[in-house]
Amino acid sequence: MNLNDLAILKVSGLSPQAIKWSRTLDVLIVIVAAFLIWAVSHISFLLLGGDWDFFIDWKDRQYWILIIPITTITMAAAFQAIFWNLFRLPVGATASLLLLLVGTWIVRYHSWQGLAFFPISLVVPGTCLMGALVLDAVLVLSRSWLVTGAFGAVLYGLLFYPSNWIYMAGYFQPVQNMGDMTSVADLIGYTFPRAGTPEYIRIIERGTLRTFGDTPTWVSAFFSAFACIFLYYLFWGLGVLACNSRFFPVGDRFKSIYGGKSGAADSEPALKPGVPS
Amino acid sequence: MSLRNRWGLRAGLVQLSVLLTLLGSLLPTPAAAHGERATEPYIRTRTVHWYDVTWSSQKINVSDTVTVEGKFHLFTDWPDAATKPELAFLSNASPGAVMTRVESYINGMPAQQSVRQLEIGRDYSFKLVMRGRIPGRWHLHPVLNVHGAGPIVGPGHWVDVAGSAADFKVPVTTMTGEVIDDLQHYGVARVQWWQAGYALLAIAWIVWWIRRPLIVPRWNAIKKGREDLLVTRTDDRVAAGLLVVVLVVVIAGYRYTTQKYEYVVPLQAGSFKTKPLPQESPVVTVELKDATYDVPGRSLRLDVEITNQSGSPLRVGEFSTANLRFINQSLDVALAGVDPSFPKDLVPGSGLRISDDSPVAPGETRKLRLEATDAAWETERLVSFLTNVDSRVGGMLFFFDGGGQRHMAEVSGPIVPVFTQLRLAEKS
Repeated sequence: MNLNDLAILKVSGLSPQAIKWSRTLDVLIVIVAAFLIWAVSHISFLLLGGDWDFFIDWKDRQYWILIIPITTITMAAAFQAIFWNLFRLPVGATASLLLLLVGTWIVRYHSWQGLAFFPISLVVPGTCLMGALVLDAVLVLSRSWLVTGAFGAVLYGLLFYPSNWIYMAGYFQPVQNMGDMTSVADLIGYTFPRAGTPEYIRIIERGTLRTFGDTPTWVSAFFSAFACIFLYYLFWGLGVLACNSRFFPVGDRFKSIYGGKSGAADSEPALKPGVPS
Repeated sequence: MSLRNRWGLRAGLVQLSVLLTLLGSLLPTPAAAHGERATEPYIRTRTVHWYDVTWSSQKINVSDTVTVEGKFHLFTDWPDAATKPELAFLSNASPGAVMTRVESYINGMPAQQSVRQLEIGRDYSFKLVMRGRIPGRWHLHPVLNVHGAGPIVGPGHWVDVAGSAADFKVPVTTMTGEVIDDLQHYGVARVQWWQAGYALLAIAWIVWWIRRPLIVPRWNAIKKGREDLLVTRTDDRVAAGLLVVVLVVVIAGYRYTTQKYEYVVPLQAGSFKTKPLPQESPVVTVELKDATYDVPGRSLRLDVEITNQSGSPLRVGEFSTANLRFINQSLDVALAGVDPSFPKDLVPGSGLRISDDSPVAPGETRKLRLEATDAAWETERLVSFLTNVDSRVGGMLFFFDGGGQRHMAEVSGPIVPVFTQLRLAEKS
């Protein structure tokens, strides 16, 4: 424990025994919070991102690059707001994306390979973890959600494609199959059948927007970065709202319906445990 | 045993059962069925009619192939509730990727991608070459996925795959010359190593923060206005360092990768078009006059008017619908038309009863009653005419002339369920 830690404990005004128990509480809350962050981030991503990150032959140059950052930044921003406002802990975005990645790999092995016999090469996930680290780092350096949204969220969107391309590029080598040129990713998708996911369900590169390099990749990456700014602000705001839980007094009738004692004090003022910065 | 001990034992058993349930839910248990009977009868009887379907083998070893081939007819009385086959994909139904797809064709054209603008009322041939991957006994169907109508499943046959899954490999050589030993594992280690590296950075960052006094002390410090203690200059330097590390890793890694993989292609998502099989001029017309389903007797009764427009006498040999084949048992050529490999459970033993089985002469118009009676109507879940919004029935009638030549005709129309024997007696 360094001098700064001792100063924090001193300022906190806790007794030596309370300090000891507060550390136990820290461990318990970290464990519970980890499960909560994991569950919320995972469910949110499944609902919003869906198939674009399930399968290797859905990871196109347009929608995969656009959709994954703008769906994952939502929970990253919300958890960042909660941890920053309540505890000045700049780990919300990183924790959200790290736990999402861990959860995704568990599901890939347990459900996709274990239940449906899909090879892992068909279902390798992408991740926005590098963008999340940048988002938290920019928050520390700027101490400002406004600056974090303007710069961190842009980097979050922009970094998704290159940080994943490093290990995904091999799947997009050309290969010949049944007389047609296709990608290794397409061939994996064709070889390992998904009865409920016909080929036409995929939404691959609609429209004609291209860069001079004849690819929509960076157009999508920049648009994703642009959209990330607004989603970051929106979900930061929702995170702030979540910090402001209030307890409202209820009347005797309500208490008696639910088995509480009638006549208990019902006119206590609203408690306000957390105040955002 | 005292009351306390008994309660303790009971509580222990409850805890044990909860624990076993939780553990059981964690163990993967693959499902054997894949919902082929769940599709509504109006789709199964009036959209895609599969015929002449054969399986090259019912017992294969891991890495051996089995070929499923045949034809399908797109029914003219296609239900309004299902989208017309403007875009479709030929696939197979089996419980997960227990078999791999080696090749697939529609009318001899490679069907790696979707086919568009299939014509209602016409026929197409198909071929699926599948390769055993996971040992087990698997139900293998051809499937035509129709955009907007869903998967329309053909007849299924059990295929036994023997051997060891460890022997299965899909080697591929890319057009740039890279040799991939096994498509099942290709690139996985690379993805996992890189993502593990990213995760280590993330863990280091989180540990940097949570190793110090956390929840209550930080909360109190904020309430007392001492935020300056919570994020220090050292934290700033660590955050700046992290930012630099992330950007350097991503930019350098990206540059290296783009140089390593000079030639990459985007996902391929085009579709193809093919003409239907040549159509024979109609030699027989069938008009459905009345159709009833006898609920207690499990019997479909069709009153039809048949006109023979060919130059030779014709006999009714088969009524086929929803992959069930009701065969006229007294017509040898019809019986011979059932391939020995065809699943027995889809050929009801009671066959097709015909009120007048004598040949219909050339130019003759005759009214016939066809009865297809079997428990298969129930077991195949085809009797929900009662609950469908579209209470119509459809199927294919197969006629045979004296030379054994087969001619097909569609039959379709409204169907009325009959719930009591009394009503049946009235109708007959």
